[in-house]
Amino acid sequence: MKFASSAKFAAVVLTAALALTACGGGSSSSGGSPGPVDGKGKKLSVLTGVNNQYSAQQKQWFTDIAAKFKAQTGADISFETFASANDELTRIQTSVVSGQGPDVYSLGTTFTPTAYATKAFVTLSDDDWKKVGGKDRFNPAALGISGPDAQHQAGIPFVSRPFVMAYNKDLLKAAGIDKPATSWDELAAQAKKMTDPATGTFGLATGYKDNFDPWKFIWAMSVQAGNPLVDGKTLKLDDPTVKKAYETYFGWLTKDKIVDPASIGWSNSNAVAAFASGKAGYLMMTTSSSLPTLDKSAVAGKYAYTAMPTTAPGQTSPQGDGANAASILSGDNVVVADYSKQKDLAFAYINLITSKDEQLNFQKIFGDLPANAEALKALDNPALKPVADTAAKSKATPFTGAWGDIQLALLNVVVQSIPDLSKGSVDDSALQARLKDAQSKGQASLDRASK
Amino acid sequence: MSTDSLTAGKSTRRKTSRAAKPGPQSPDGTLRRRKGLSERNRPLWMLIPGGLLMIVIIVVPLLLGIFMSGLDLDQYSLRQWVSAPFIGVQNFVEALTASPLLHAIWLSVSYSLLAMVVTIPLGIAGAVATQNAFKGRALIRSIFLIPYVLPSFVVATVWRTMFQPGSVIDSMLHSVGIDAGLWLNGPQSYWTLILVQIWASWPFVYLLALSGLQSVDHEVHEASALDGALWWNKLRYVVFPYLKGPLSLAFLIGMLHHINNFTLPFVLFGVPAPSDVELLPILTYVTSFQSFRFGLSAAMAFISLILIAIPLFIYLRAVKLDDAETPGGKK
Amino acid sequence: MSTATTAAGRRPSEDFRPGSKRQHEVTRLMPGPMLAIILTVLCALVLIPVAYIFLASVNSDIGVARGEFFPSSFSFENYSTIWSSVGLATGLANSVLVAGSTAVVSALMSIATAYVLVRYQFRGRLTILRALLGLQSVPGTLMVLPVFVLFSSSATYLGIQVIGTQWGLFLTYLTFAMPFSTWVMVTYLRGLPRELEEAARIDGASNMGVLLRIILPLSWPGVVVSGIFAFLLGWNDVLFASVMTRPESQTAAVALQVFGASQEGGAIPFYGQMMAASLVCAAPVVILYLIFQRYLVGGLTAGGVK
Repeated sequence: MKFASSAKFAAVVLTAALALTACGGGSSSSGGSPGPVDGKGKKLSVLTGVNNQYSAQQKQWFTDIAAKFKAQTGADISFETFASANDELTRIQTSVVSGQGPDVYSLGTTFTPTAYATKAFVTLSDDDWKKVGGKDRFNPAALGISGPDAQHQAGIPFVSRPFVMAYNKDLLKAAGIDKPATSWDELAAQAKKMTDPATGTFGLATGYKDNFDPWKFIWAMSVQAGNPLVDGKTLKLDDPTVKKAYETYFGWLTKDKIVDPASIGWSNSNAVAAFASGKAGYLMMTTSSSLPTLDKSAVAGKYAYTAMPTTAPGQTSPQGDGANAASILSGDNVVVADYSKQKDLAFAYINLITSKDEQLNFQKIFGDLPANAEALKALDNPALKPVADTAAKSKATPFTGAWGDIQLALLNVVVQSIPDLSKGSVDDSALQARLKDAQSKGQASLDRASK
Repeated sequence: MSTDSLTAGKSTRRKTSRAAKPGPQSPDGTLRRRKGLSERNRPLWMLIPGGLLMIVIIVVPLLLGIFMSGLDLDQYSLRQWVSAPFIGVQNFVEALTASPLLHAIWLSVSYSLLAMVVTIPLGIAGAVATQNAFKGRALIRSIFLIPYVLPSFVVATVWRTMFQPGSVIDSMLHSVGIDAGLWLNGPQSYWTLILVQIWASWPFVYLLALSGLQSVDHEVHEASALDGALWWNKLRYVVFPYLKGPLSLAFLIGMLHHINNFTLPFVLFGVPAPSDVELLPILTYVTSFQSFRFGLSAAMAFISLILIAIPLFIYLRAVKLDDAETPGGKK
Repeated sequence: MSTATTAAGRRPSEDFRPGSKRQHEVTRLMPGPMLAIILTVLCALVLIPVAYIFLASVNSDIGVARGEFFPSSFSFENYSTIWSSVGLATGLANSVLVAGSTAVVSALMSIATAYVLVRYQFRGRLTILRALLGLQSVPGTLMVLPVFVLFSSSATYLGIQVIGTQWGLFLTYLTFAMPFSTWVMVTYLRGLPRELEEAARIDGASNMGVLLRIILPLSWPGVVVSGIFAFLLGWNDVLFASVMTRPESQTAAVALQVFGASQEGGAIPFYGQMMAASLVCAAPVVILYLIFQRYLVGGLTAGGVK
């Protein structure tokens, strides 16, 4: 065995182990972390998002996968978790600069372009694809945000987590609505019927102060009106469709009055809480991860998921690619670091976790949809059907390194409009000015990307 | 230590400080008095461990940061950052002209100052009130410390939850007929930040003031007690002068902590922050870790460092904090 | 709080004997009622939000997210679940280890540094003093990346793994605590009389001896204060700890943040567990302070911060 080369590594592990014992006890939680170094002396380091909803299950999953991986390759895995997207960006940046860090990263889909732009992650060759089980193993839709084009893909789809809305069946029925809306106009009309400020019931639950949600609404409504936002090297935030989207989104609060006035200060989780207490007809922009909360709440058994509308405000049918823009293409991709010295091991790990059985197992535990095509087909849970359907109708956000900035600029328009929103109306010229600002910032970033 | 040496120290103390005052001093601080002790056998080596650490872990990375501020360092050049194109002062020009940097500096400095102006009286009040022994004093002293002991992250989360529209604070104010409006957005967010900062950091001033109070000579207390001095006069003229040193330091360090406080505004308002609280650390953080423009961010941080260092040194001169032999200018 | 006022009002103030336990009476600074008002106001200021944290820790997460002050349902379950879900035990152990050693070492190093800076004249003394404050003003967000690069290159070039270890974190906090700790000690040491040291020197004490046997015992309040600051610096930091720790070396603050972060499109954060965990995290520091606060008592030393 390659003892010499591993001696140094063993020393490191030993130091870490010593340090661990030095701090005394309480190692109950370090999820699947270091066992003794095995004969091959290799250890794969994997960074993935923490799952607080299923924290015990996640730890168990880490242990199980590590055991299977060891059986397959003889190597160990050390899992690390990050708290939030911000956290992860910081980790990526420090690792990229220093050329040192985890071998495999789990990335939110919208961050894949940013990561790709650093060129610090492996763009898979045909050979590499074979090592992870072949490209055709994956749901073709899920590959939509793996790279700028089919020849240059770095992100290997792991799970899909499309955004849907949940509705309160009782409230809909009480208002005489027989089926959830498929256009944003219809949604507002239905929500109006369910709104009764006297009882604190509102048609929609959404958080205007969420760190992500607002831009997703604007993106969806704009794309459904035929504006892809990024057109080659030009950004189109100054387009009327974008303005219309903001007006609709703000209008729920200011004109239609179909959302709780307090929601200007809410994040997504507050909206979940409102819906969970039965005070909202629709919970917007949620994923299947709200399921455990809802199943423990007052609306347990009374709610269902469905796709969000695909017909833009003021339109009668989806424009352009709108019908396929029920949600952003959302989920997790895994990428392999370019600096990794054990890429084959990394690919072997990815091969393991994207296999049909593991994907189905993962779905059963965590609720996220498989990216493996066969596994997706094999799903038979009827409650998940609307979510699975939405996965097929998800559209990738533009694949550019500037997307992070564009997203931030879109969000910023909402953040800066909140004081106006609370006063009851957003001034047209102020909105115009904010859009112009967003356009110029986003365009500047896009220019850097295409330089 | 023995009681003897203590009393000895006490009785000679007045003499020492009196002698110290007229001591010949030159502006650069070279003092001729007690040359014998000062020149012979100076254990300058004691400076080495701390100095070495600071050079390796602060100065070297700082220089690295300054070097980066001259590079066109972004997500496209990050991986080979050493060979990122050198663009001289362009980042600085962009930071000053095309970014909200100056606004952010103004916000940061003014909010820090306002928060400081309130925390100092609070801290003094707390220290003075717990100076006298009473039953349960240890407990109260510990209670006072709680805000400082809670991680900023928790403090910010708690206050954010309480300041939510329609949440605890709103409903409390509502019950007394006040509609306060938005706390976490718009112009009021600036004051929210100050409020939370005061809550989180007054124990810091309290601690320093408390340690300062311990230095008030017993004779001073005796003298003023026997004179039947009014408590306010006693505080004002007898006790407060002792606090000048620690409070000057508290003011300075408190300001710097506020200015560099990242977690509090970040968790309280999120990113992108409302423009009323787009503070310096938030701006540099977003620029470097969200927009991935580390060069620009480093330039911003460097500019702010300089802009903050200048008043800092003026202040240092003004309160003579760095001048060893005239502490507080008292007695 | 109520005991405070009566106690303060009742105590006579005849006993002036220095060094006596009852010397506090002489130092009475305020009339009883005034004291009562201040203590009540300050305690309320601190305790109301703390009460909210406590109530939230026994509330349901939905209740907290909906902005309740008084819980609609009580449960102390959170206090037992956090040990497995947050990974609090490892976190706390690491935090105590890192922050504790930072506090001790920085207090010792800063007293030595401050002693030299206060007692001896040499070229560059003032520059050092000022530079210390200058270093204090370097923003953390500027430092994260370069410090990380520095540490990671130590693994690349020297073969010493720093990232992910507790002592890497310890070194970082120690360094960032040094400027302030030193300054606290500088202001404190200035107030100490020289005569004692000189007497000791005549008796043949070395520099080290003077420092350990004369200066250190005299400056406990300063040591405690600078130690607390250094401790809290390490205890509360998440900026550095989040990039420089690995699961097994994670500090409590990072564990908490990881736990409290709400996810995109996800469900409600576990507010209750987070609040419970933060109270549990605050407890060791408060207890530590309860132990050390007796060193903050006045009148024992001739000198002090001026």
